[in-house]
Amino acid sequence: MAIRRISDIFGGRRHLLFSGLLLVLLFVFLLDLLVIDHIFGPFVYFYLFFTLLIIFYGIYPLYVNRRLTRYYWERTKRHRLAVIGLSFIIFLVAVAILGPFLTQDPTEVDFPNKNLPPVGFSAEQAIYDRNTGNFITTETPGTWHHPLGTDDKGRDMLAMLVSGTRISLQVGLMATLIAIFIGLIMGVVSAYLGGWADNALMRFTDIMMTFPFFLLLVFIVFIFGPSLWFIILAIGLTGWTGTARLVRSEALSLRTRDFIMASKSLGASDRRIVFRHLIPNVLSSVIVIATLSIPGVILAEAALSFIGLGDPTVTSWGLVLHAGQRSLDTAWWIAVEPGIMLFLTVLAFNFLGDGIRDAFDPRSQV
Amino acid sequence: MNNAILQINELKTYFFTRLGVVKAVDGVSFDLRKGECLCLVGESGCGKTATALSILRLVDSPPGRIMGGAVMYHGEDLLQSTGARLRQIRGNRIAMIFQDPQSSLNPVFTVGDQIMEPIRLHLKLGQRPARERALSLMAQVGIPQAKERMKYYPHQFSGGMKQRAMIAAALSCDPEILIADEPTTALDTTIKAQILDIFRDLKQQKDMSILFITHDLGTVAGIADRIIVMYGGRIAEAGSVLDIFDRPKHPYTWGLLNCLPTISERREKMTPIPGVIPSLIDPPQGCIFYPRCQWHMPVCQEKRPEEFVISGEHIVACYLHK
Amino acid sequence: MVSKLLEVENLRKYYPVTAGLLARHVADVKAVDGVSFFIAEGETLGLVGESGCGKSSLGRALLRLEEPTSGQIIYRENDITSWSKQQLKELRREAQMIFQDPQSSLDPRMTIGDSIGEALLIHGVGTEKERLERVAELLQRVGLEQGHATRYPHELSGGQKQRTGIARALAVNPKLIVADEPVSALDVSVQAQILNLITDLQRELSLAYLFIAHDLAVIGQVSNRIAVMYLGQIVELAGRDDLFHQPLHPYTQALLSAVLLPDPHQPWKRTPLPGEVPSPIDPPTGCRFHTRCPRVMPVCRQEMPELRQLDGNHLVACHLYD
Repeated sequence: MAIRRISDIFGGRRHLLFSGLLLVLLFVFLLDLLVIDHIFGPFVYFYLFFTLLIIFYGIYPLYVNRRLTRYYWERTKRHRLAVIGLSFIIFLVAVAILGPFLTQDPTEVDFPNKNLPPVGFSAEQAIYDRNTGNFITTETPGTWHHPLGTDDKGRDMLAMLVSGTRISLQVGLMATLIAIFIGLIMGVVSAYLGGWADNALMRFTDIMMTFPFFLLLVFIVFIFGPSLWFIILAIGLTGWTGTARLVRSEALSLRTRDFIMASKSLGASDRRIVFRHLIPNVLSSVIVIATLSIPGVILAEAALSFIGLGDPTVTSWGLVLHAGQRSLDTAWWIAVEPGIMLFLTVLAFNFLGDGIRDAFDPRSQV
Repeated sequence: MNNAILQINELKTYFFTRLGVVKAVDGVSFDLRKGECLCLVGESGCGKTATALSILRLVDSPPGRIMGGAVMYHGEDLLQSTGARLRQIRGNRIAMIFQDPQSSLNPVFTVGDQIMEPIRLHLKLGQRPARERALSLMAQVGIPQAKERMKYYPHQFSGGMKQRAMIAAALSCDPEILIADEPTTALDTTIKAQILDIFRDLKQQKDMSILFITHDLGTVAGIADRIIVMYGGRIAEAGSVLDIFDRPKHPYTWGLLNCLPTISERREKMTPIPGVIPSLIDPPQGCIFYPRCQWHMPVCQEKRPEEFVISGEHIVACYLHK
Repeated sequence: MVSKLLEVENLRKYYPVTAGLLARHVADVKAVDGVSFFIAEGETLGLVGESGCGKSSLGRALLRLEEPTSGQIIYRENDITSWSKQQLKELRREAQMIFQDPQSSLDPRMTIGDSIGEALLIHGVGTEKERLERVAELLQRVGLEQGHATRYPHELSGGQKQRTGIARALAVNPKLIVADEPVSALDVSVQAQILNLITDLQRELSLAYLFIAHDLAVIGQVSNRIAVMYLGQIVELAGRDDLFHQPLHPYTQALLSAVLLPDPHQPWKRTPLPGEVPSPIDPPTGCRFHTRCPRVMPVCRQEMPELRQLDGNHLVACHLYD
C-alpha cells in the first residue's frame, strides 16, 4: 500500500522533523534580526513557519488520510456557497502572494492622474489649466493603466487593494492562529486536568472575556504606537476565550466517549490519549471556529485603520476606506472598492466556515 | 370482521437524502381494528417507525415525504386532511407515545403541566377539572403519590415513571387509537413488564386500538393480537399471533424467531440471519430479503413477490408460498 | 479445583457527589458496594442487573480503568489493586474490554486497521510489517474483510463496528475480556452473529469473559455461571442452569418472571415486583432489596444478608435461607 509506505518513511518522525526545521528557522530568524540586520522582514519568517505548519499538519495528514479527506470534501462540496467561498479565498491568497509582483507600487504618488475612475466609468473633475490659470471641468474616463482607478493622490487602486489583501490575510491568519493555539492549549489542559486547575483556568477565561477588547486595542495602539504587529498580537492574545471554552466542552464530552476508555484499556498513556485521540477530534471544531473568526479579525483591523488607529505604513483596506470616505461624493470608488473586498472576504470565510461545520457535524449524516 | 377503524392503503414514504432516495415505506397496506393490539415488528431501518409517523403525518419534511397511499380514519383520508383538522385528531383521537421518554418530555415544564396540556387543549376543560383528570390518569398508569408528583420536573422522574407520564398524557383525551413506538425499549426488564401490563389493561378495559411498534418478539408475544413483520420498507408477513409464532411462513420470520437466545436452554450455536440489513437506497429489483435468504429461487431475484394469502388473514410475501 | 484467573474481594467503587462552588463532598454514589467473586480461566461469568445497579462500574473498576475505592483485585495471584501505571500497562496485555456502543467506542478519525493495531503500537509489538500482518489476521478472525482495514467507522454497519471492537480487544492476545453489553445496541439478527463470534473465540483462544448485560436470555446463551447484581451488590451467583431453573433470591425470581418469552402460549403473568430501584446514594438499610421484595421479613430491614454458599456452588444473599 502506497499510503503506508509514505507514512512509514515520514510518519513517526514527523513531529521531530517539524521541530528540527522550526529550530533552524528560529536560528536563521535570530541571526537575521541580531547579526545580519533585517534582510527579510519578520513576516517572511512567519510565512515560512506557516507554510511548514500547513505542510506538516495540514497537507500531510490530509494526504495520508486521503479517503477521509475525500469524504469530508464530498460533504463540504454539497454546500455550493462554501465552494464559492473557498474559491474566493484561494483567489485572495494567490493575489496576496503573487499580486504585489504584478501591480504598481501602492505608495507611488502621481498627482496628475489623481481621482481616475475605474475602467468603464467616467467622472467629472475640475482640473487646473496651467495655460489659463482656471479650473476646467472635464469628463475623465478610466484608463487601462489604472484599471480600478486612482485615489486622491494618484495612487493605483488595484495596487492598494492587492496590498490590502495581503495585510488583511496576514492579520486574519496570524491573529487567529495565535488565538486558536492559546485556546486549544487552555481548553485541552483545562478539560484534561479537571479539578481546581480547570476551575482556575476557566475563571481566568471568564475574566478575559469580560475585558472590552476594542478598548484594549485602542490602549495598545495609544501606548505602543500603531504597528501591525501589536494589532495582531493584541487581537490574538484576547481572542482565544471562545475557542478555549468550546475546546474544553468538546474535550469533556469526548472524555466520556467509549473510545477514550477503550484506548485507556489498551494501555495508552495520557499523552497518547490527548495527542492521538482528544486533539484530533476537537480539531474539526477548532478549524470551524478559526474559519469563522478570521472575518471578525479582518473587520477589527479594518475598523482600527478606519478610525485612524491602524498602522499608517501599510496600505490596508481600512486605511483606503478611511481615505475614501472624505471624497465619497467626487470619487466614490475609493471607498467602495475596499468596501466590496471586505464584504466579499468576510462573506467567503463565513460561507466556508458554515460548509465545514456541516461537513464535520455527524448529525447531518443523512 | 370488517370493524377496521384505521385503514392504511399502499402507503409510500420516501426520504430524499443526498445519497439517494431511501424508500423507507414502500407500499404498505393494513387495517387496525377496534380493540385490538396490532404489532409492527422489524429490525432497524425496516420502515416501522416511518409507517407510524406517516399515519399522523409526523414525518420530518424534508427529507421525508409521503409519496402516496391513503390513511382512512372514519372515512376521512388523513393524508389529505388540512393541518387544522389533523391537529384536532393528533393527541385527541389518535395519540402517540415515543421510544425515549427522556426526550419526549419538555424539561422546563412540570410533568403535571404536560399531562394537563392535551386535556385543556382538546377537551377545553378548566384548570381544576383538568387537574382532577390528570390525577386520575396518573393513578391509572400507576404513578404513586400523583398529587405530589404532578409538581415534579421530568428530571426528577425515573425512566419508567417518565414513560408512565407519557402514557398518561397520551390517554388524556380518551383516544380511540394509541400508536406506541418502541415504548418499552429503553426500559429495564422489570419496568418493561410493568409498562406492558398497562398496555394490556388499556386494551382489555378500554377497548382501545393499539398500534404497537417494536423490534422485540418477546414483547410482541405477550400483547399482540395480530402481527405484521416488516422488512426493507414492506410487509414480509402478516397474521395472527399464532400464525406468526406457530406457523411462520416467511424465511425472514423464521430467521427472526430462530436467532433469539432463550432462557430454557443454552444453545450450542445460535442461528443468525447471515449478511447485513440492506440499504433502502436502490434496493434490489426482486425480493429485498433475497441476498440473505437460504431458500431463494431464480424468480426471487427478478420480481418482487406480491402478498400471497395462506389462510384467512395470514398473508406472506414470498414465492415459496405461491 | 478450578484455577482462578481473577478474584475480587470486597470491591467498592464510590463516586463522590459534590456541591457548591468549592466542590464540597456531600455524599457518595455507591455504585459498587462490597462485591466478591472470581472468574476461572476460560469460563464466562455473566453479570446481569438493571440499569444503575453498578455492573458497568464494576467492569471498569475490575480492570482499574476507574480506580476502585477499596477492596482487592487479584489477577493470577498478583494483587493488582496497588499496581503502578507501568505495571498496569502489563495488565492491559492480559485483560481487555469490549464496549456497548460500537459507534462511540471507535475513534471516528482513525481507520479500522489503525484502531485494531493501536494496542500493538502502544505495546511496541513487532515491526510495522508484523503489525500489519497481525491486523490482517485479526480482521479475518472476527469475520471482516481485508478491505475494511482502510475504512473509517462511519463506513461500517453496527455489527461490523462491534466486530472491530472485538478485534481490537484481541490484538494483544488477552486472557480475560470484560464485555460490557456488547450486543445490546445491535439488531436481533446481528446480535446472534456477534454472540456466536464471542463464543467461538472463547473456544479457540481459551478466553475468560466477564459478560455484562441486562438481558437474561443473552446472558444465558454465553455464560457458565451468572451473577445477579442489585444496587451495587451481588445478590445471587450460581451456575447457569441452577440460576435459571432454581432461582433462590426473590429478585432473581422476579427478573426471570419478567423476561418476555417469544411464545404466545406462555400465560401472561403480572410481575410480582412493584416500585423502582432506590437511589444508590442513599440505599435502604438492611437488605437493599427489602423495599420491593414480595417476601420481606422484619429482619430484612435491619440486617444486611451476606452472600453465602448454599449447596454446591449456589451463592445467595437472602435471609430466607438463613
